[in-house]
Amino acid sequence: MSAHLVCGGLTFAEAPVEVRERVAFLPHDIPDALTEMKQELGLTEAVLVSTCNRVEYFGATNTPQRAAESWPLFLKNYHVLDTDVVLPSFQYQDEQCIAHLFEVASGLKSMVVGETEIFGQIKTAYDIAQKNGTTGKWLNRLFQSSFAAAKEVRTHTGITRGSVSVGSVAVELAEKIFSALEGRTVMIMGAGDTSEKTARALKSRGVRSIMVANRTYDRAEKLAIELGGKAIHWDTWETEAVDVDIIISSTSAPHYVLTREKLLHMLKQREARPLFLIDLAVPRDFEPSVNLLDDVYLYDIDDLQSIAQRHLSERLTEIERSREILKPHITRYTTWATQQLEPHNRLS
Amino acid sequence: MTDRYWLIAATVTYLISAAWGIYALGARRSASTPWHDSVLVLGLIFSSIFLYERGEVIRHCPITNLFEVVAFFTWSLVLTYLVIGPVYRMSILGTFTAPLVFCLNFLALVAPIDIPTNRPPLGWVLELHACLSILGFGMLGVAALAGMMYLIQERQLKRRSLDHWFYNLPAMGQLERVHRLVLKWAFLIFSGGMALGFFIPHESTLDWVKVFWSAAVWLLYGGLLLAPKFLPLSHKKVAWASVAGYVFVLLTFWGINSLSQDHRFSLPTDFVAHPVTMEAAS
Repeated sequence: MSAHLVCGGLTFAEAPVEVRERVAFLPHDIPDALTEMKQELGLTEAVLVSTCNRVEYFGATNTPQRAAESWPLFLKNYHVLDTDVVLPSFQYQDEQCIAHLFEVASGLKSMVVGETEIFGQIKTAYDIAQKNGTTGKWLNRLFQSSFAAAKEVRTHTGITRGSVSVGSVAVELAEKIFSALEGRTVMIMGAGDTSEKTARALKSRGVRSIMVANRTYDRAEKLAIELGGKAIHWDTWETEAVDVDIIISSTSAPHYVLTREKLLHMLKQREARPLFLIDLAVPRDFEPSVNLLDDVYLYDIDDLQSIAQRHLSERLTEIERSREILKPHITRYTTWATQQLEPHNRLS
Repeated sequence: MTDRYWLIAATVTYLISAAWGIYALGARRSASTPWHDSVLVLGLIFSSIFLYERGEVIRHCPITNLFEVVAFFTWSLVLTYLVIGPVYRMSILGTFTAPLVFCLNFLALVAPIDIPTNRPPLGWVLELHACLSILGFGMLGVAALAGMMYLIQERQLKRRSLDHWFYNLPAMGQLERVHRLVLKWAFLIFSGGMALGFFIPHESTLDWVKVFWSAAVWLLYGGLLLAPKFLPLSHKKVAWASVAGYVFVLLTFWGINSLSQDHRFSLPTDFVAHPVTMEAAS
């Protein structure tokens, strides 16, 4: 039988990217690595999680000390690293290990607290291990409990609420203004990097067409090709803007490109359709007072950044609440595990 | 009357629903849960039983006094929400509906307005006229609530203050769609009710006070529906007009009916110098 749950690994908190990239596992290598790791660490059950921010193992074993000592050696052997390479790895056992997995699955230990991608990554890692037959009753129950716990945390706290990057904040706002982004039209003015990222984020959520206007037509054309949109000549942007829903601007103009007067003229032709203006330029491209006009929603770079920052702070304040929600799940698993270890229940 | 207990039960249910909604919004929890809708369904069942039992007792459609009219009106508000909310995934609308329904029912229960009247058979045209009109008013109420939600969300976006209201309220595009849809149906039903009013035989002259008031309300909502087709009218203005129009309806409904010859409600005897016989209530 397996008396202990163990886990360990390297995360962004302990190891810089230069170290993490050397010990990361490619998805198609994981099945073989799992078998090897299980053997070398003396595990009866094993799951290997490898993402850009963490490389971790979870296991059941009778020899936790051996697992802890063998983990860095396994990494070095598998990735053919020099023996003197330092791998700053953490190690947890039993209840600490349970709490760790539950917190990781809930996004509490992510670089961007509350991000939900990790949930899918852990699920994938578990599925691979299950398919390869390296999980048993301890890890099956542990991972399934962690998924239930993470879902409860997501539902009952604000840990995942609010976007935390400029691009995702812009998408979130656009979705609140237009409901769905399918079929919407975006115009990019100027060919800045953040504009491009924001346009990509909007496109990934269903934006239909993208127009790029730049003082240098060649640059507009280049970006339009990259985004699958169309380039327009700078002197036609005002005419084209009548039909667009979102304008992202990041020109280097020293004055307002879109004034209240110009916009008022444009609005008359828009039949009261909402217009979302994203001003990423410094100095700003849109006259701030346009936000006072009906159906116009203006956000500049400071607005978007402060919203992202506020969301991140709010997520951090939800960590303790999330941990309270996790506690009964941890207790439930521990109680079950203790029952399994009682003499009449010893099956494996 | 024992049928009042059903309305009390419904009112308590709406109170629970309203309290949960307010708590959830305050505690930054999702106010829209299946449980919340189930409570409102239960309240609607209690309200329906009340209206049925009252109808059996008075042998009329239960709109013969102001108390019954309020109960019928709140029933139509909840019914409209329960049709619209789940279909358009707008359960948060229930959080806005429940407090309004609770307040109106509570006032109806505590005010001395449940006065039995002996009235002759009203005829199906008059009863249908009254029912459709009140149902239309109920739906206009839900439209006003949707308009209010639109205005709150619009304000959040304009002020860039994305607090928990921002996340709990649906997108503005969705709110606008639902607002227009409910306005349209409410207007059609209300128009049907008004049109039937002209087919009711009148012994005396036409009830001009009520006719003018109803025509004003009809024109207001008709204008709200048609104006955006011809004018560049922002939905913010439509939402404001919808909310303001409904406040006007709520504030003047009782007063106009008191001034009206055919729509007057009975009052307690110590409230009036001369006992009034109601000719019709709608």
